[in-house]
Amino acid sequence: MSQTFDQLPEELQLATSAHVKYIQSLDTRKDEYDYWLTEHLRLNGLYWGLTALHLLGRPDALPRAETIDFVLSCQHDSGGFGAAPGHDAHLLSTVSAVQILATVDAFDDLETRGKGKARVGEYIANLQNRETGTFAGDEWGEEDTRFLYGALNALSLLGLLDLVDVDKAVSHVAACANFDGGYGVSPGAESHAGQIFTCVAALTIAGRQDLIDKERLGRWLSERQIAGGGLNGRPEKKEDVCYSWWVLSSLEMIGKTHWIDRDQLVGFILRCQDPERGGIADRPGDMVDVWHTVFGLTGLSLLKYPGLQPVDEVYCMPKSTTARVLGR
Amino acid sequence: MADQGGSQHGIARTSRVRTDEQRQRDLDRIAKYRDLEGQMRALADAGDYARPDLLALTSRLLRLNPEYYTIWNARRRCLISGSFSRPSPGSSCLTACSSTSRTATTAASSTTSSSSSSAATPPAPASQTAGTTGTTTENPAAAEQNTSQPQPDPADAEARDLATIQSELSFTIPLLLESPKCYWIWSYRQWILEQAISRLAPSRARRVWEEELGLASKMLGKDRRNFHAWGYRRHLVARLESPDLAGSSLTEPEFAYTDKMIATDLSNFSAWHRRSRLIPRLLEERGADDEARRAFFDYELTQIGEALNVGPEDQSLWYYHQFLISSLTTPATHPAAAMTSSLSQQERVEYLSREIAEIKELLDDYGDVKLVYEALFEYTRALCEMEGREATVGERGDLERWLGRLRKLDPMRRGRWEDLRRECGLSAE
Repeated sequence: MSQTFDQLPEELQLATSAHVKYIQSLDTRKDEYDYWLTEHLRLNGLYWGLTALHLLGRPDALPRAETIDFVLSCQHDSGGFGAAPGHDAHLLSTVSAVQILATVDAFDDLETRGKGKARVGEYIANLQNRETGTFAGDEWGEEDTRFLYGALNALSLLGLLDLVDVDKAVSHVAACANFDGGYGVSPGAESHAGQIFTCVAALTIAGRQDLIDKERLGRWLSERQIAGGGLNGRPEKKEDVCYSWWVLSSLEMIGKTHWIDRDQLVGFILRCQDPERGGIADRPGDMVDVWHTVFGLTGLSLLKYPGLQPVDEVYCMPKSTTARVLGR
Repeated sequence: MADQGGSQHGIARTSRVRTDEQRQRDLDRIAKYRDLEGQMRALADAGDYARPDLLALTSRLLRLNPEYYTIWNARRRCLISGSFSRPSPGSSCLTACSSTSRTATTAASSTTSSSSSSAATPPAPASQTAGTTGTTTENPAAAEQNTSQPQPDPADAEARDLATIQSELSFTIPLLLESPKCYWIWSYRQWILEQAISRLAPSRARRVWEEELGLASKMLGKDRRNFHAWGYRRHLVARLESPDLAGSSLTEPEFAYTDKMIATDLSNFSAWHRRSRLIPRLLEERGADDEARRAFFDYELTQIGEALNVGPEDQSLWYYHQFLISSLTTPATHPAAAMTSSLSQQERVEYLSREIAEIKELLDDYGDVKLVYEALFEYTRALCEMEGREATVGERGDLERWLGRLRKLDPMRRGRWEDLRRECGLSAE
């Protein structure tokens, strides 16, 4: 495989150092309006940036102590985390907080300087709808399989999965399945690659992959690759780098990554880079952002692009981290 | 983890170097935005959510940044403490509702609507001037002012709640039109609609919800595949059908809606999907007998067959075709089986054989469309399985030939074709 990549023209080489610099620059852009408009994503952004740096082999490129301090500064008494200090607690930022602390090996800091693991677990567990098994994002009640997956992800990292009704959660995911093998945002919703990732990963964490129709799902997922090599998220839609993660990780979990053309997808992701200033965009020639940067890199990692650290297809974190935390 | 808000989609890359002027403009905007945020937080920290100036600040911030979920939450608190005629425990939030049996707000709010209305209406100051928002001509700012009048009479209280609900719905429309994929706006709107159920007389609440279907249609008219809007529509229909809104089935009009959407755009997979989900209920509610079900199935097969005759490259059409075929091939538990449950084994075999023959005819005009070969391959295998037999020599020859075409026409998925070849024990090329 690596031989193939060596033959790629120079513009299709991964611009590793530019990407590292780009990610490092993200928190210095306080004179840009967008920096303030995206504060509701700060903790998610830190997780995306940190994960990208770990995959690029530069785990120390962000200062560890400041990272932990910032994460803990976002925690509420409830145990949940907001996106930034002064923002309400939400499951999405809470999951990012747990993932970051796991990645920088700082669960001890959560115990000694934060509100502790148990409180985080309680916050998440309280968001489960005990009738249907699904999860709300926060106390205002929006429900979505994204939240269900996030809850299982974070709770399993914390070793607190027994706080929730996993069987009920599994039944809910099963109810979201469609005849095409895919999954939607809620029962009755059409299959969508992002939602398929959350459902397949949730079932994998719960040890219930037996419920997945792997043949049909693999077929649907493999059809997401379109001319040009990129992947789309639903039939008859445009390609987008972020599906390099949602589709590919799902294929990886069901053992069918070889059902798409790896080299063409690698080429597509690399064409979406900004090779000079770093970062990856949704499509070639577009503006980069940290979201597409991390999902481009996690995609490349799953495709075993040379030089990248392996990513865990279930947790979207460095494999070295999940191996340490989950003992696998 | 997974939240697309704030990421860049489809924005052309430009030089990231700003002129001094552009930078100064950014700094001005930042100062203005952060100033609003600072004012908002100062008031929120003081905890007095009944203050109308706090509500006005949330309007201004949300217009600048509808992704700022904390501000949407503050706005909910403002309504509960100030604008609405009475605080309703069911209308607040999960943690306030219950700590033992966890239910979604939708369920909680419907059970607490009878909670005491004796809670004093907070005498909201009516002194707030819309002028402070700088948007005096806009309807929402004016409505904020109107809805904060003290209204002690119960009928007036309901009128005031209705005004608040309508004002909130109109406030979010321009935001939704600008950010149709923003989760927070959709979820806020849904919360507002639940308020209608817990605060208004059933007939009035129902009218609010019915009008909302118009919005869902409008959003789907702008983007036929927006899955937020489809999900919202499904939610509206489910609630309109529920006892909370004294509802009855909307399956027929919803099915007709998929007809309309498909007629506009044959390739609309979202509409086909919705259709596939409605069919079992539709047949049930029509009290369809075996013959009617079979006629229904025939009609669907004919429709999709005609569509495939003009668009065999379209995945959306093939997925719907697979859905119909799966009703022949899968056990009776399949949702699609509602159409075909009365068919005998022999009839199923005949149906499937006829479909295979018709798809073969497509090859005359579309010999280089890989989806045609894929369907032939899948359905032929399904036919053998249905009959509990091995492929005949002729069928094996077909399968090998079709697989060869697939490998050639669709080399991207060669890994899958190779797996299929091995699984079927076909010879390598």
